Amino acid sequence: MEANTVLELTNHYYEIAGLQLELRFPSALNLDHILPSFVGFRVEHSNKTSAAVVTFREEEVPSEEEWGTLRSDISLVWGDNFRFYEQKDAFVTLIKHKIKDKQWMMKSTKDFRESRIYGKADDLRMGEFVSWLLMVVFGQVGLQHRLILIHASVIAYQQKQGVAFLGKSGTGKSTHSRLWLQHIPDTELLNDDNPVVRLEEDGRAIIYGTPWSGKTPCYKNKCVELKGFVRLEQAPLNRFTWKKGMESLVAVLPSCTALRWNKDLFNAMTDTLSQLVEQVNVGYLECLPDADAARTSHNAFFEEKVETGL
Amino acid sequence: MKLRQDLVLRKVGDDYIMVDPSQGMVDLSKVHTLNETAAWLWEQLSGKEFDGDDVADLLCDRYDVTHHQANLDAIALLEEFEKAGLLEA
Repeated sequence: MEANTVLELTNHYYEIAGLQLELRFPSALNLDHILPSFVGFRVEHSNKTSAAVVTFREEEVPSEEEWGTLRSDISLVWGDNFRFYEQKDAFVTLIKHKIKDKQWMMKSTKDFRESRIYGKADDLRMGEFVSWLLMVVFGQVGLQHRLILIHASVIAYQQKQGVAFLGKSGTGKSTHSRLWLQHIPDTELLNDDNPVVRLEEDGRAIIYGTPWSGKTPCYKNKCVELKGFVRLEQAPLNRFTWKKGMESLVAVLPSCTALRWNKDLFNAMTDTLSQLVEQVNVGYLECLPDADAARTSHNAFFEEKVETGL
Repeated sequence: MKLRQDLVLRKVGDDYIMVDPSQGMVDLSKVHTLNETAAWLWEQLSGKEFDGDDVADLLCDRYDVTHHQANLDAIALLEEFEKAGLLEA
């Protein structure tokens, strides 16, 4: 009887910001249909090692006693419909639902290199939830490879330089990108919500598009050199200020994601971020949602002589 | 007393900083900045059991100050550390 429940799994490989993500899902599922934003990131299996492996089997979500210690149910970055739990050797990510049958859960090793997702494949929101859980995995695994998943809207200027706009939800990151698209020639949206920044061995910072982009379907498998970050704040005027040292770190830190109960991951993030803010330019823009705001940040990065902070 | 061992001192530009992940439910990390003297003391005291006299001795060895002044500075600094939650509970 038990043999009948064993389903065959198929391996799928994706490459995001140079990291290979391996999914093992039941062969009967059409993954391109479930995860359309990932299609452009698919790779044939190389001999490369997978940075993270995520397995899905349709199984009951383990009961509440097995989740562990509640660590968080609020996050400025992740939203509030989920919870993180910690166990001795695992982290549990739960997507809450009033109806127990509609809950989704992921159990991961503490370094997030191996995860297992539990949920129901007939759930209409499966794609959305799996994509979100994969973002949690990628964000944490990436930290171990000098990658930081950031909450930002990012434009690519002249096909070669990226500027990432940061800010609390509702500040107008997407709006500011859109103003660049409208008023600054040779500008393209690279990602509207969750790009990845990678600090290369030679010290260069590269920003990558990802399969995650918030409400805007902009899933570009491409990258440009990161010129800098701008933290936005709504104001009755447009005013741009450069930030250095501690202030530049403070400007970027709230937009980065690390599970802060894991000291290793958090320290990896802070290490990379400390080096990153010395490599790129960090500014602060008080702004209106108008064309002049886009010109102000454009001029700061590409017209004035920019000090490198080094 | 002892300094918290989970905090890592880093230099960013000209600033010495420590990022303190909040342990509460809300994701709001604190960033502490130290001046050069405090950063140097942090490195000297890191991992050790110490008291105010030890801090004053360190200050006297490195700077041209009277023991009385060093004592006052040590007390003031440790109060700051205590207030900022940088000492081990």
